[in-house]
Amino acid sequence: MNMHYELPLEEAGYSFGFLDEYAKKEVRRTILKAICIPGYQTPYASREMPMGRGFGTGGLQVTLALIGPDDTLKVIDQGSDDSVNAVNLRQFVQLTCPGVEVTEKQEEATLIQSRHRIPEVALTEAQVLVLQVPYPDPLVVVEPSEARRKIMHAEADYSRLLVKLYEDIVHFDEITISHRYPTRINRHYVIDPSPIPRWDVPKLDQSPALILLGAGREKKIYAVPPYTVAEPLVFDDVPFRVEDFRDARGERRACARCGATDSFLDEYCDDTNAKIYQCSDSAYCGGQLVLQQRETTA
Amino acid sequence: MSNKPTPVASHELWLPPMQQRIFCDLLHVFSYPGRVAECTAGSMTWLALLAALTDGEVALADPHGQIRADIWPRLEARSGMPETAPFIVADGGRAMDFQPCTGSLESPETGATLLLRVASLGEHSEGGVLLNLSGPGIQGNTELPVSGLHPSWLFARAGLVAAFPPGVDLLLCDERRFAALPRTTHIKTGDII
Repeated sequence: MNMHYELPLEEAGYSFGFLDEYAKKEVRRTILKAICIPGYQTPYASREMPMGRGFGTGGLQVTLALIGPDDTLKVIDQGSDDSVNAVNLRQFVQLTCPGVEVTEKQEEATLIQSRHRIPEVALTEAQVLVLQVPYPDPLVVVEPSEARRKIMHAEADYSRLLVKLYEDIVHFDEITISHRYPTRINRHYVIDPSPIPRWDVPKLDQSPALILLGAGREKKIYAVPPYTVAEPLVFDDVPFRVEDFRDARGERRACARCGATDSFLDEYCDDTNAKIYQCSDSAYCGGQLVLQQRETTA
Repeated sequence: MSNKPTPVASHELWLPPMQQRIFCDLLHVFSYPGRVAECTAGSMTWLALLAALTDGEVALADPHGQIRADIWPRLEARSGMPETAPFIVADGGRAMDFQPCTGSLESPETGATLLLRVASLGEHSEGGVLLNLSGPGIQGNTELPVSGLHPSWLFARAGLVAAFPPGVDLLLCDERRFAALPRTTHIKTGDII
């Protein structure tokens, strides 16, 4: 074996976007079919990525199939630009997609890949949101056979899922699903909207931006097209409600950092073990602080 | 400054950067049915779209003989029958003379994508028809003027998409522009222009 052998340069490098062109075309064809059949879990040949399945490989494959040198990418994990998953995925895209700009500012981004949150600021038509999905099928809790689930989805038969929600009401007086809330798209397919909190579910409805959901391990891609009806699964007499951030006095809790009272809050413990609340969307929180500083100096 | 894309040499159609740009336009037109995109490749829109969509993994049907023999190897696609192929390119000016695959109830994604070449798209031209569109991707409703589309396509499509989720998805293109009509789009045929 020649110890000094080196791959020729053109073979040593990866193609733009890491995936080979055949893989990209397959993902692209799948994405288009997913848009044409809103909410349908379109199967595709999920590729091995240089990271474990479950770490956002589905979202990453969708992003890599879409991205071009003119794009500006924002990657967030649980609302934060700086958590490990977001930093790793962003660095991977920078490594394999030369020329692509990355940003933490939502208004600059053309492509946003996110884990478990939809950004606070409303998306625009110029943006595409890619969500990472661990478990794509909401029916898996009531039907173990995928073949039967596919028929149930095709016939829009969600009676067993509704029974599951009803059992929650019987036991706990309310539907206890905190995230991954089953949501009906275009009045047919019910999707698992990825583990976004209830707070984000209404943002799926009539969104100006295309929302793509990629599940790498489960080998599925599905979509919520723009300006499409997205309704959380509920009963007529038990309306859907989002997280309640009011304190014992009935006042809406504010972010401890920026003071916002209109954002989704994460709960922390401070040094004295007291509970504090802070915006989950770090870019939104930072933006509010900048606005306040401008107002102070003006 | 003109917004029209600069025509590119035809060999660029086969290169990944051009195919990525064309796919982004495809993503846009499928997301917002009825909106018309200018083809980044400048001309030969139908070929640019096929180059961005097909490879050796898919079958392509060409019932009206649109593709020259020397183009087939570059597309890499297998030649298929219009009744079974996932991609079909056809002359929209001729009457529909085949029954495309609509997929099954469990696997509606196997429904065909029909690429129809029409005389003009997105501009009012004599003898054309105004399509009134509504459905996912459209705020309220929108209009798409098309000319050179035989009425049999829209009539047949209405039947093929009636039992959603199975159905077919249409891509209309003229020499420079293209627009999509996914199976979820409701089409009302309006006035003859």
